[in-house]
Amino acid sequence: MTTATSLSHRLSLFSDRHFKYLMVAPAIFILLLIGVFPLVYSFVVSFQNLTMSDANTSFQGLLNYRQLFKDTRLWWALAHTALITAIALPLELVFGFLLAQLFLERMPGRQVYVALLVLPTILSPIVAGATWRLMFDVRFGPVGQIVGFLAGSPVNLLWTVNPNLVYPAILICEVWQWTPFMFLLLLAALSNVDASQLEAAELDGASYGRVLRQIIIPAIKPVIAIAVLIRGLDLFRVFDIIWALTQGGPGTMTETISLYTYVIGFVQFDTSYTAAVAFLVVLLLTVVVTWVLRRMELVR
Amino acid sequence: MVRRRKVLSAGSLALFAPSLTLAQSRNAAETAVAAAKKFSGTEISIVWEAGLQSLDPLKYSGPKWEKLTGIKVKVVEVPTDQMFTKIMQDFRSNAGAYDALNVIPSWMPDLVKAGALEPLDALVDRHGYREELNDIAPAYRDNQMKVDNRIYGFPDDGDVMLLYYRKDIFEDPKMKEGFKAKYGYELAPPKDWKQFSEIGSFITEKMAPKTYGAGFFRAAPYPQYMYQERFRMEGGQFFNADTMKATVNSDVGVRVLRQMLSDNKFMPPGVEQWNFVDNLANFLQGTTAMTISWPPYGRWAAGYGTNEEAMKWVPKTQVSGKVGYALNPLGRPELGVGFALSVASTSKKKEAAYLFIQWLNSKQTSLERVQLPYTLRDPFRTSHYASAEYRKLWPDAGAYLDTIKASGERGLLDLSLLQQDKYDEAMSKALSSLWAGTDPKTVADSLAAAFDAITEKVGVARQKDAYVAWARKPGAYPGK
Amino acid sequence: MSFAATPRQRRIRLTLRYAVAAIVTVLFLFPVYWLFAISFKTPDEIFAVPPVWVPGELRLDNYLALFKEGDAATIWNSLVIAGTSSALAMALGTFCAYSLARFNTGGENLAMWIISQRMMPPIVIVFPVFLAFVYAGMVDTFHGLILLYTAFNLPYVIWMMRGYIADIPLELEESALVDGCTRWQTFWKVVFPMARSGLMATAVFTFVFAWNDFIFALILTRTEVITFPVQLTHYMGGQSQFWSKISAMSVLGTLPVFIAVTLLQRYLVRGISLGAVKG
Repeated sequence: MTTATSLSHRLSLFSDRHFKYLMVAPAIFILLLIGVFPLVYSFVVSFQNLTMSDANTSFQGLLNYRQLFKDTRLWWALAHTALITAIALPLELVFGFLLAQLFLERMPGRQVYVALLVLPTILSPIVAGATWRLMFDVRFGPVGQIVGFLAGSPVNLLWTVNPNLVYPAILICEVWQWTPFMFLLLLAALSNVDASQLEAAELDGASYGRVLRQIIIPAIKPVIAIAVLIRGLDLFRVFDIIWALTQGGPGTMTETISLYTYVIGFVQFDTSYTAAVAFLVVLLLTVVVTWVLRRMELVR
Repeated sequence: MVRRRKVLSAGSLALFAPSLTLAQSRNAAETAVAAAKKFSGTEISIVWEAGLQSLDPLKYSGPKWEKLTGIKVKVVEVPTDQMFTKIMQDFRSNAGAYDALNVIPSWMPDLVKAGALEPLDALVDRHGYREELNDIAPAYRDNQMKVDNRIYGFPDDGDVMLLYYRKDIFEDPKMKEGFKAKYGYELAPPKDWKQFSEIGSFITEKMAPKTYGAGFFRAAPYPQYMYQERFRMEGGQFFNADTMKATVNSDVGVRVLRQMLSDNKFMPPGVEQWNFVDNLANFLQGTTAMTISWPPYGRWAAGYGTNEEAMKWVPKTQVSGKVGYALNPLGRPELGVGFALSVASTSKKKEAAYLFIQWLNSKQTSLERVQLPYTLRDPFRTSHYASAEYRKLWPDAGAYLDTIKASGERGLLDLSLLQQDKYDEAMSKALSSLWAGTDPKTVADSLAAAFDAITEKVGVARQKDAYVAWARKPGAYPGK
Repeated sequence: MSFAATPRQRRIRLTLRYAVAAIVTVLFLFPVYWLFAISFKTPDEIFAVPPVWVPGELRLDNYLALFKEGDAATIWNSLVIAGTSSALAMALGTFCAYSLARFNTGGENLAMWIISQRMMPPIVIVFPVFLAFVYAGMVDTFHGLILLYTAFNLPYVIWMMRGYIADIPLELEESALVDGCTRWQTFWKVVFPMARSGLMATAVFTFVFAWNDFIFALILTRTEVITFPVQLTHYMGGQSQFWSKISAMSVLGTLPVFIAVTLLQRYLVRGISLGAVKG
């Protein structure tokens, strides 16, 4: 009897102790399988001088990294990316939250609405960009028509050429496509908020604002934090929409870091330099993300 | 060589003489087929531009080749933007997955230098293709075939810019009268850019908003070809051949940019955003009276082939029968892009791939291919221009071919240096800032600076050699 | 949320919500509608001035052509690839997320390493991945892309589910353990049902990310495994734009996820009437 209990006891201790490792093992395995080689390869290559015409793999030291500091186009690309991220992310978060609030309570036909609202995110970003490009067209697109109607006289808006309109165009397209992402995530999170707490606050006569600040937001904070993190990182890599709308133009005005790496990596085949740029990006992002996470953890 | 063989065979192998004479009178297409039969049952892959372009190998040439030789053709469709990348990556990784390739001639120096293309001279001689190669129009034959005097590709597309104009408007008596009264010369396709602006403004004045004087594609990446042409024709030089410093910001350079920008004024609103298809749609609908573009516009404007299923995406032409063809203002149009057929150096089936491209490019097959209703391959052989068959395709086809031929003969070469795509990109970006309203002088200066930075990175001495070699060619600068 | 509302007030609020919902939906769906309309338009209608808002006819030719010419097969390819990789990523990722959320396995460092996988610009990784795939003979295969997209999406799933799991009160699991469940049973009986809405929300986008990926699909395939986004770009040439195909294909391409989201709605939003104490 004692042996039996101690055996099962030991077994459950074993699986419990190793449970947490067993749970992470498969995922980590796959991540390592796919992730390690490209990282190592890029790292090694960044110290070489592989270009379109040169397959020479000799060690070149910090050649590429030194070049990073002289490359103004790179830093502008980072600035453009930061600008887009800084504007689009809060907009998507706020709109997503408002939408989630709107659809949180029961209402007939809600299922249809929610499914429909997810459509923009499902569309391929390439197609979304191409469609908005056509919609923004001065002659063939409805946007000009609508604006002209509202303004009372025909307008000639060059959304993809006018320096004052290119960023709004990109932001409109981007926020349009990804607000439903925030919407869905927040809807799921809001629906998990402890109903009994809400009811208690209601009975106490608390205002909506207080309830929001003191119950709802703290409850969904983990999800908001991660949604912001994920969306932020994805915004940093935004490519298809900008490529379809402006190709980084006019000039390099809307060239983000992903467009720039595309040009130097894919078109000009400066493999080594591109790898160096990639590591710079990863370094910068790691710093930012770590800082942001620490702050969120502390405030929580 | 041939005569000796004939004597030998006649003397010693009388039995085989008939079949040998037959072999000598075979054209390159038939030779290729005959030689390829021994590879029957295998499969070769060819990289082709995705979209309309690849309908040729998918629906016509691929199946036909398979029927003739038993070799299956796998068409690897790749979007234009990614073609160079996929070819290079396949080469660099030694995957050897591609056998035959479509390459844009301006990539050839870079691809050859990297070692990605197979030199074809030996194969050309082995299969007796030199003669038919000579039939390719000089503009393409002499400039899009060889690197360092070795054959690396067969020019397969007669890309050249043409001026398309509305004959009916130009021949309208009221328009002619009014124009002559205002400007003092006959209304006719513009001989230079000043006339172009005057004619364009006049037509817009009289006929907008139904029709405007002209329209161009202004959105990247094609406008840079028009810039290259106009810049050189107005007297500009890309570089100082001694110092290798860019001279695109000379007075001529700034002036050309300024004039290109001011031309937009008489074009339809929104022209700054137009891409190839937008420009096409507007011309076919009759919105623009003049435009400059590649040969396909001419076919589609005439309505040739647009009833085909594959061509359903082209808006119905409202200007069929009303389109005239002319040389660009100043008379030397940019050749602009083009395509050549090559063999990948890492292919494991080089000979089979080579025979396929010889067959595709041969006089016989290429004539069939350029007449396909859905083709984007334009006539590129002297025999094409003279073809009675082609001339019957639509009423103005003869004039069309004549204009293409003349344009090809006078064509200007695309700038082609080491890492040309970097220079192309710089020009593209410069033009997009121009349309956006940046001051032309600033644009020109930035372009020159960009050029210089690229030249420095490539290596001034190396690039100078490449530039001098290119500039020496008859099609590089006018007046040569 | 009803704050001391009378039935009449509630009805007004509902009507208001409906109105706002309708307006918002119209705004968001207008471009989708435009694309949908294009799939029925003739090229003349697509390039008409002024723009045509309602196509003249509901032609199904464009859709039929896609099936006839075999383009629609690429939707199936993408379904298989995105579906399998999403299922794998969701399963493995959620397990991992649970471990991270409850046991803080690997601490800060592991979590940071996982999310750093999403920081690398894809353009840069594509070529080394391609090299590795060439070496392993996985280019132009289904399993190659499935493996890749699974790895691709794991960081997303892990981090998202970590957040949703963190929301679930610990007491429920503790009471289950006290009742004698093993950790594994606790996971399935308690955590899994409670995290359903989070699971669904995450699953939708995991699928969408794999479904819409273009750059990896482009480089890692040639002719055998053409996925939906790659097929779409075949319609966008330098000198041609098959708008009819682009739009019809896009509409077809949104159907799988649209249907899935509609059907699985009830897992997404748990009614507020459900209390926190569950059986």
